[in-house]
Amino acid sequence: MSLQKKSLQRYRLFFPNDTLREVSARTGIQITRVFRLFNGKPMKVGELETFEHIIMEKLKENPNHMRLTNILEEASAILTNDEMSKIIDWIERKIVARNYGRSYISLNQDNASIA
Amino acid sequence: MKSLSSLERTVLECLGKQSLIYTDIQEQSGLHENVCFNIIQALIIRGIIHTDGVRYKIKENLSPLMLEEINGAEAKEAESLELMEAVVGQKAERVFKIRKVAMDQRDEKIFLAMLSNLESFLQDAHKKAQSSTPLKERKVVFWGMGEVQSLMSQIVSGR
Repeated sequence: MSLQKKSLQRYRLFFPNDTLREVSARTGIQITRVFRLFNGKPMKVGELETFEHIIMEKLKENPNHMRLTNILEEASAILTNDEMSKIIDWIERKIVARNYGRSYISLNQDNASIA
Repeated sequence: MKSLSSLERTVLECLGKQSLIYTDIQEQSGLHENVCFNIIQALIIRGIIHTDGVRYKIKENLSPLMLEEINGAEAKEAESLELMEAVVGQKAERVFKIRKVAMDQRDEKIFLAMLSNLESFLQDAHKKAQSSTPLKERKVVFWGMGEVQSLMSQIVSGR
């Protein structure tokens, strides 16, 4: 996955309900340009940095983020494969449960029709 | 994620062998509208339930792999942990006790017999009220016992 795509995907994780207008306001990038970027137009370095900066600021709001990153690194070095697998399962379940609670339907689900 | 989450399982338990409309599933599960809708969508995508546009039903010919995901040992263990964690973390009307109890052999036998009685009581109670109590109003009950030493060594070894 390209750096740009990854960055936009991370942005969407943190701001899932942002409209194009809101993305534009948050990043200072023109709305038509935002539309193009989300449709795969190549980003300029400055734009990528803006998105990354916003993500980093959002991460800083949660003091446990750094702790989690550090502890996961230590865990992958020390814990057994089974223990790691349990932790991953537990985290995945937390994420799935939280995603169900979100008011939006993710892209995959959106594309699948019920009928 | 391989196994089902307890939220997804709740929807499947509501459906059982019946085919239900969305509002019935939502009413019986007690899940919030959005959550219920998202779970149903996810289960359709995973190929576990199907719909004619109005009613939802669990697919009849689920693959062994899918059945393992739903009812396998791992899935059950994960669901138990999830529910127990929720009970332990409950803020209101919390009913949870855990003790390290010194028991001689005789008392241990008595205790196991009491657990067996408890199980029979719960089975009877369930049979009696099953048809009139929606899933959302049912109680999660669990019990268990282990020896401190073996539990500690299990924790240390990471098994």
